[in-house]
Formats: sequence, structure tokens, C-alpha cells
Amino acid sequence: MVAYLVRRVLQMILVVFISAIASFALLSLAPGGPLAGLRQTPATSRFYISAEDIARIRTKYDLDLTIPVRFTRWLIGVPRGPLVINGKEYFGDLVVGCRQPIEEEFLNDRGKYETRVTGCSEIVYLRDLTGRSASRGILLGDFGVSWRLLRDRPVSDLIVSRLPKTLQLIGLETLFSILIGVPLGIYSAVKQYSKFDYFFTSLAFMGSAMPTFFFGILMILAFSILPRNAGLPYLPPGLSESVRDYTIPLLGTITAGSASDRVLHLILPVSVLTLVNVAFWSRYIRSSMLEVLRQDYVRTARAKGLRENVVIMKHALRNGLIPFVTIVVFTLPGLFSGAIITESIFSWPGMGRLYLLALGDSDYPVAMAVFFIIAVLTVIATLLRDILYTVVDPRIRLK
Amino acid sequence: MSANMKVAELTGEEITIQERTPFQIVMMRFRKHRLAMAALVVITLIFMLTLFAPYLANFEVTEISVGDYFLPFGAVDEDTGRVHYLGTDNIGRDYFSRLIFAGRVSLTVALISVLISETTGVIIGAISGYYGGALDNVLMRFVEFMLTIPSLPLLLIISSMLLANEDLIPIPAIVLNTFGKIMLLNPRDTRSAVLIIMVLAGFGWLGSAQLMRGMVLQIKQQTFVEAARSLGASNTWIIFKHMIPNAMAPIIVSASLGLAGYVVAEAALAFLGFGIQDPVPTWGNMLSATQTFMMDKPWLPLVPGLPIFICSLSFNYIGDGLRDALDPRLKM
Repeated sequence: MVAYLVRRVLQMILVVFISAIASFALLSLAPGGPLAGLRQTPATSRFYISAEDIARIRTKYDLDLTIPVRFTRWLIGVPRGPLVINGKEYFGDLVVGCRQPIEEEFLNDRGKYETRVTGCSEIVYLRDLTGRSASRGILLGDFGVSWRLLRDRPVSDLIVSRLPKTLQLIGLETLFSILIGVPLGIYSAVKQYSKFDYFFTSLAFMGSAMPTFFFGILMILAFSILPRNAGLPYLPPGLSESVRDYTIPLLGTITAGSASDRVLHLILPVSVLTLVNVAFWSRYIRSSMLEVLRQDYVRTARAKGLRENVVIMKHALRNGLIPFVTIVVFTLPGLFSGAIITESIFSWPGMGRLYLLALGDSDYPVAMAVFFIIAVLTVIATLLRDILYTVVDPRIRLK
Repeated sequence: MSANMKVAELTGEEITIQERTPFQIVMMRFRKHRLAMAALVVITLIFMLTLFAPYLANFEVTEISVGDYFLPFGAVDEDTGRVHYLGTDNIGRDYFSRLIFAGRVSLTVALISVLISETTGVIIGAISGYYGGALDNVLMRFVEFMLTIPSLPLLLIISSMLLANEDLIPIPAIVLNTFGKIMLLNPRDTRSAVLIIMVLAGFGWLGSAQLMRGMVLQIKQQTFVEAARSLGASNTWIIFKHMIPNAMAPIIVSASLGLAGYVVAEAALAFLGFGIQDPVPTWGNMLSATQTFMMDKPWLPLVPGLPIFICSLSFNYIGDGLRDALDPRLKM
């Protein structure tokens, strides 16, 4: 068991490391970033950005450094300057980047001009990094500064302000979908081939085929736009709280930012996520219960003359729920990414929308941070799931 | 055949039950699944609509009628007398024409993605399961690792990156031209569609590789494989003539469910703004565009939204029916 855990934790670290490299590599290859749009300003404009200004911005966001150096500075916050041993500097004149590359335009073979870097007019050496501000590295929880969304503010500020919103959504959704889905699944399994079973399995089937984004739009239509146009009570279609006070028929005036305002805004996104997941849970529980109900010990329990309630609740359900416990843990990081679409439909200011905004606006430190958090959560959840397996089901041994 | 006919006069064909090929048996079982049959009819219809899009569409995809914004269903174009069956959008483009051309793009993307991902998955899974050992270990650890990472955020990163660097990625002209002909797009627009196919298929093969490997491990134990080997069959022969055909049932099911997945995934990417972009119509980006106007025109999202849902539902039903037909033991 201990050997297994040690091996798994080592594997986990490797996976986190690889996903860090992957996300960093992908996004450092992508164009855009803090310089996008700056070069287009004409030289006569008051806001003209000179080559020196661009070099300064590049320095500020570490863009002048070579990719491996940038990566280690992003990951663990080193190197911060030359190696100092006993007051003596080492590797001070190691080339780590280029402050002002020489760019020339070439006519390529397709007849278009393209800019190529042909040299470097100002080389950055390792000793130049002394005193330059750097993050402590994402492994220590410092995600650096945002490039565009909240220029120069720490990425962690953005995440901290958005995380509670997503957790709120995911927490409520998980709670409700399990509270509804599990009993539905059990009942469906116990009354297999009944009308109820047919109805709910086909409903769940349709639910699992329904794309979240279309379902969300349908819900907005049905509970927000149509009732509003008809003068009936409606639910707010987007955001997490409203900006101005508004009046809803029968409910009266809702003050912006009040508790009732927030609850009203939660209802639609939470119910979209819940309904989609109820379909998943009830199908899952149903098939796992059906498997258990066919077992011999259930027949024995019935043969002993136990009441059906006791057979199902005490004998079948306990074993039927074994895979359930582990699946719940494993879906958590998935929910996180599943909320991306829902948050985008309802303009919900959570992590998923932050991720979309960051990708769309090429604010890569933010996108990398969110992706990294999701990857770490997934890896931890995978480990937890495997450990939980042994806890709930002693038949499984870890090797 | 009358009752007093002598038995001896009956020919062999009359007294034996007609033999059915495996395909006939599967078709017979599939026909019993009524919803799957209905889904097949619906899908065939949709495919026909998109296949004959150039003949059915009254308007060009990018044709803008100035001033005719948000025309109702069945409105008639005053100058030419052509009918806007489903009305027009916010800049006066015909919804019906765009919808069937969009279907062509969306369905082609899904079909080709399934084709590529299932082929890759089957070959890699079969090799990995058949040879085992270090190769199997490396391949399957890689697949497991890729499957651990939540797919949507990764899809978003990669497609946003690929689409931003669109011109830098070399795609053979023959690929662009062929796909362009299928989707009726010019090579320039085909580029983004091909990139999306690459992204979708690049992640799609993982699941089918795992599935195939599991099947191969089971089949490897069976006597007929041993028999083939003792008759001197090569590894390649065994893999392609024995392993893959015998493992086809779950792969076909996963392919038809995969079609549903890819239609939705492509639409989701386009909906979030990281898929095929506007002048090229796809169901996803058309749906995304209607979001802005749904306050005043609540029926608008249904126009591109329903086809996505219908396709996804139909492919799911067909997959369900195929599962029942191909391998009744797999029935849930």
C-alpha cells in the first residue's frame, strides 16, 4: 500500500510537470500577448510606441528571454541572477535572451512579406536578471501577472475573485443532481421495465444527447425571455447579480446585489447543469443497481423472507453505491471544465468564463494558470478515486 | 404446397431454412429497434439535404440582401421571387441555405474525424494489445495520461492556438482541395475546418485505442488465433485478418456514438468562438450568433440548434440500436 502510494505520488508529480510543460509550450508558441496591437500605432501619433518602449514591455513580461529560461522562471521562479557562491558570481555572462531583436522583412516564396529575426542588437545576460521582478513560480502558487485582462495585477487576484462563483455553481449542481439522480436511478432499477422506468430511461437518454449550450439557450427562452415578454414572473437570464434594481411580476422589486437577487440568478445555471447531470447519474446508478439486484445474495435475502425495502436499502444499495462514491470524486474536476459552456451562456463570472476570456484575449498567464489548476485537480482526483476504491471495496487491493 | 404432397417430392431448398449471412442477422435485429430505425431515416434525410445543398438552396451562403434583416419564415425576396424558407439573419443572409450548407460542413467534420480517429485507434490499440510488453506499456500510459487531462480546456487551448497560427501550419494542397470539394468551401476556408478535424481526431482516437486493446487481449486467448499461428500466419495477417474483424462490433458502436460526440464538440467549439469562424456557416457558430438577438426573436436559436440536437440524438439512437444488434450481451 505504501509502496503503491509513493509510486502514484511520483507519477502524479510527473503528470503535473508534463502538463505544465505542455500548456506553457502551447501558449508560448501562440501569437498575441501584451504587444499585440501596439506596433500598429502610426509614428506621428501621440501614443506612438517606439522600439525602446517595446523592448521595455518585453523585458517587463520576460518576453525577451529564451523559452527554457522563461519556463523555469514561470514554473519555479529561477534563475533570478547569476549563481553566487562565497560572494563570487558564476555564469554571469550566460546568454539568456535578447532585448531587441533585429527584424527584417523578406519576400517569401508565396509572394508575401514576412518578418524574420536576423540578429540581436542587445543581448540579455544572466547577470542582467538580478533585481528584475519575477514570480515565485506557479509550483509555489504564484501565477505571475496578467497581461491583458487585468493588466499588471497578479493572476491570483483574478482567480481568487472568480473561484468562489464557480465553486458555488459546482457545489449546488453536484448536491442537487445527486439528490435527484440517485433516487431516480434506484427506483428505475427496482421497477425495471415499468412505465416509470421506460419514461425516465428515455428521458435520460435524450438528456445525455442534449448539448449543454443548446439546452442552456432553451432554458433561457422558456424561463426568462418568453415569460418576460408575456408579463409573467421570469428569471434573470445572465450574470451572477444584477447591476440595477428590477421588478418581477408577483415578486416585486428586487434590489441589486441582495440575497434574493443572487438566488434568482443562480436558479437557471444551476438547473441547467443539474438536469444534464441527473441524466448521467440516474443512468449510472440504474445500471449499477441492476447488476447488484441480479446477485445471489439478494435472492437469498429475499428467500429468507426479508421485506423488499430492507433487501433494497440494506443489501443491494450498499453494494450498488460502491462505484458511485469513486465516480463522484472523479467528476469534480470534470465539472470544473463542464462549467465552461454553462458559464459562457449565462455570462457567469466564474473560472470557466475567465479561461475563455483569457484565451480569446491572449492573456496567456491567466489561461496557463487556470489550465494548470484544472490539471492538478484532475490528477489529485484520480489518486483519491483509486484510494477510495480500496476503502469502500475491500475486495480491491492496490499493488 | 398442398397438404397431400408427398414428402419425397420436396427439394432440398424447400425443407431447409434459408441461411442468413451475419449481416442479414444484424440488420434483422437492428430493424427491431424502432427508435434506431426512425433515427436512421431522420439522419438519411439530413444527409440528403446537405448532399443536395447546392440544388436545394435558393441563395448563396454569403449572399446578403441589404435591408431584408430578420425576415419571417417563408418571406419572398421581392426582386427575384425566391423564397426565404426559414427567413433571414441579422445581415440579410438566407437561413435555410446557410443551414444546409452548415450541415454539410458540420457533418463532414464529424464523419472525417470519426474515420481518422477510429482507424488510428483501432490500429494503435490492436498493435499495443497484440504485441504487449514495453510498447504496450508506453502507448497505454500515454493514452491514460491524455485521457486524464480534461478534454474541453485542452481542446480550447489547442484550437485557439492552431486557429491563430492558421497560415503557419502546412497542410497539403491535395487535402485542402479534396475536403474543400466535399464541404463546398474554398481552400482558404477549408483550412480552419481541417484544423478542427485535426484537433477533434487528435483526441478522439484515445478512447477507441483503449477499447480495441481490451478486445484484442480477449481475442488473443482464443483457440482460433493459436490455430492461425500454428498454420504459419504472420503477425500482420493475424492482426488484420483475425483481430480487427472480430473486434469490430464495439468499434462500430463507438464510432456511431462518436459521430454524435463530434457533431456536438464541433458545435461547442464554434459556439464558444474557438471553432470554424463566421463567414463559413456551421451549426455552432450560427447558434452562437443568434444569442445576441434572442431577446426579441425567441425562435431564432431553434433554427440552428434543433439540427444539432436531432443529429446528436439520432446518432445516439443508432449507436444504441447497433449495440443491441451487433452484440446483445452488451445491452445496458
